[in-house]
Order: sequence, then structure tokens, then C-alpha cells
Amino acid sequence: METKALDQTELVNQIIDVIVKEGMIDREKVTLDATIESLDLKSIDIVMILTAIEDKFDVYIPMDGPFHEAKDIKSLIDAIAAYIIKEKS
Amino acid sequence: MGAVSAAGIGADALWRAARDGRSCVGETQFNRPYRGRIKISAQVQGFDAAAHLEEALLPFCDPVTAYLLTAADEAMAQAGLSRAEPMGPRTASIIGTGAGGMHTIEDGMYLGMVEQGRPPPLTVPRGICSSPPSNVSIRYGAMGPCFAVASACSSATQAIGIGAHLIRSGLVDRAIVGGTEDTITNCVMLAWEALRVLTPDVCRPFSKGRNGMILGAGAAAFILEAEEVARARGAWPLVELAGYGTTADARDQVRPDAAGAAACMRQALDDAGVSADEIDYVNAHGTGTTVNDISESEALGMIFGKRLAQLPVSSTKPIHGHGLGAAGALELVITIGAIRENVAPPTINWREPDEKCPVDAVPNEARPMQIRTALSNSFAFGGINAALVVRRAEAA
Repeated sequence: METKALDQTELVNQIIDVIVKEGMIDREKVTLDATIESLDLKSIDIVMILTAIEDKFDVYIPMDGPFHEAKDIKSLIDAIAAYIIKEKS
Repeated sequence: MGAVSAAGIGADALWRAARDGRSCVGETQFNRPYRGRIKISAQVQGFDAAAHLEEALLPFCDPVTAYLLTAADEAMAQAGLSRAEPMGPRTASIIGTGAGGMHTIEDGMYLGMVEQGRPPPLTVPRGICSSPPSNVSIRYGAMGPCFAVASACSSATQAIGIGAHLIRSGLVDRAIVGGTEDTITNCVMLAWEALRVLTPDVCRPFSKGRNGMILGAGAAAFILEAEEVARARGAWPLVELAGYGTTADARDQVRPDAAGAAACMRQALDDAGVSADEIDYVNAHGTGTTVNDISESEALGMIFGKRLAQLPVSSTKPIHGHGLGAAGALELVITIGAIRENVAPPTINWREPDEKCPVDAVPNEARPMQIRTALSNSFAFGGINAALVVRRAEAA
């Protein structure tokens, strides 16, 4: 669980860490403009990523949010980061 | 036929709830404190096994077996068959269940791992997936083929279909078939929540704004009989089980494939010897998840083409929940009700069309209409598809 104040860059890096680990993809491929499809991330991978994010940041990510509609890494990270910041503020 | 469900005891209670659009979803009652966030389900509540089964039998019965035997007693009585006469070697007992005696298993694990106790000695015979069918065989003296079908959400539909094919092949004269499930336990609810397919609020299949499914529980049982055997004893069928199809997507563990589902429906229609145009009503798998309802709509489009927009396709899962291994049996009770009363049950909680689900979902209100032939779909994780075609029984 993260308790220190969240720095935006640090937060994005931590989210990328989770995407790399849970999505089982090379870190250099996780660029902001990479699409979910090009990384071959399937719905179950997104589920694994969101669940790991929940555990790491101790937040609950609802299933009907924008997370599932993200088409690229930037929108996925933005959605997750905005949500974590909101929950932690 | 017989049933035990969130709607109560009896096939009629289930059919009436579906026809009247009365949801049986509520706050789940757990035996132990629950840490999950989603607490709603279509649980079987207030069921007293001792009111239906002999006291000596109860220690052998996980809730799934108790529900099933209660449903099977109802089905046997309706079919005019008596326990006084053993069914003998030409009757099969085939029951679908995704997980078997999950309450027994979870209780045993809690005792063994948390409380450092010892699970009761009947934990194994109660918990195994074959407990429901073997208890059926014992109860009615059915000495023919006896086995459980465990194919997750397609279990019951496959069990019923295989029973029909065993009869058709001449291997047996009669089959006691159905499905039973109750995984509404702490750990399994948490596991489903983790998979992020449960709705936190309302299940609304085929509707825009849907956000997931509701877990259900229960059992339903049917007596299948060769036509000439039923006729010889003067029995009159509720319906004709006309066709069965089953296929595997052979693609993805969790993501459904429309082509596999369509191949399954096609197989069921061919098996029944009916054309797609003859199907008056479809009881959909319709879980209410984003992915299933899109894929099922696409598959239905492959079979029904331009007719899809006018074909009543409803999901009754917001009423009785997703019964998983029992789903196809609970939904066959409803499909039979639809044929017998000429009413298409509604998809409740439906808000507005989703362009990705271009079906006539019979939104919110039951629709009186002629229903002679109907299709019931079940699709499972692992890409296992199953479908049944049922037809109004014609006068001999």
C-alpha cells in the first residue's frame, strides 16, 4: 500500500510497472501512444492490471468506469491516475 | 419438471417470476463476515431441506443436492412416476453442475485451514460434482448411465442434451436430467468480483449502460422419455425436446467467439430438423456483461440474419441470476413456460438500445405471442457452447 503523497510522474511510472508485469509485455513497448490492441492486451489482461492496481494503491476500481473503454496506453494511464488521485485526495 | 430457485420452490414459481418480470435479486446472506464490495445476488433463501427430504439423507446433501432432489421429486410427481417403482437399468441420471458442493468444500477448507479443525467425514461425498447425479440414481433406483457434466455455464444444457441423445441412440428409455449450482459463498463471490464481471447495481442484458451480471443459484430437473415409452404408459409430454447442439470455440479461455456460438445454434436447429425461420423465441444466455451480449447478438445475427430485429430474444437472468452450471436448466423451465403459455418473458431493467446488440430483447414487459418452437442458449468460459431446441408437443 502506498502512503506517501503521490507524485504524478512517479504515479505514472508505477502504473506502467503494473501494466508491464501483469500484461507480460516489454517495458519499451509501453509507450503512451501504443494502443491496447497493438500490445495484444485482452480484456482479461486489463482485469489483471486493474486488480493489481487495486492491491498496490488500496483503491476500488469500479467496473463501469472509463478504464475498460481505453483504446491506448495514455487514456488507460490517465483514467487510472486520475481515479487514484481522486480517491487519495 | 421441477425447480428450486431464488423465486422459491417449484417450476411454476420460477416461470411466474420470469413472466411477470419480478426480480429475485437481493442482499446476499453469508454464513461468515463478508469483505467483498458487491453483495447482491439471486440467492435461494429460506429453503429448508428438512421440509422436503428425509432426515437420514440430509447429512449427505450439500445445498446443491438438496435443491436438485427437491426439484427432481417435483418432476417425477408431475411425470406420474413413483419412487415406489425403481426406474431400473434403462434410466440415466445426468446432472450439470459447474462446481459441485461448493458450500461443503468452502466450509471444510475454513475448518481445516482457519480453525485448524477437521472437516466432517462426509465432506468428500457431499462435495464432489457427481454427488447430485448419484443421489438422483439412488433416490429413484435409476441404474443406467449416471454422471455429472461440468462445463461451467453450459453444464445443465449439455446434461439435458446428452440425456436426449442417449434416449435417441436407444441406450436408455428415460433420463432424469437437469442442473444444480450454489456458489454464493464468501470466496466464490470474491473471485467473481475480482474478475470484474459482476454488476454492482442492476443487471440489464442487451441494454446500453449494462455493467455486468448477477450470480444466481438453484436447480431444475426434467424427466426425458422416449416418445413411445411415454405414450405406452399414458403420459403426456410438457414439450418435445427436439434438438441439441454443442461446440467449442477452441480460442480463448474467457472471451466468447460469435462463430462458435453460431455453429452451436446451427447444430441444434439441424438436430431438431427445423429452420431458423421456425424459431419463435430465443431464451438467450444474456449475462448482462458487455462482452457476452455483443458476442451473442453477433452470433444470433449469423443464424437469423435480417429477421433478428423482429425475433424476440430475452434474457431472464436479471430475474433468477446467472445460475452457472444450473443456468440452462432454470432457463429451460422458463422456455417451456413460454411455449405452454404463449408468452415471451421480458428482459427486465432494459433502458435503451445498444447498437452493438441489435436484438428485440422483449424490453421490460412480457409479450403474449404464438410460441411453437424456441431456442435456449448457454455459453461457458473456455468457449463451450450448448443450445437446445424445444417444440410444442403435438397431439398424438
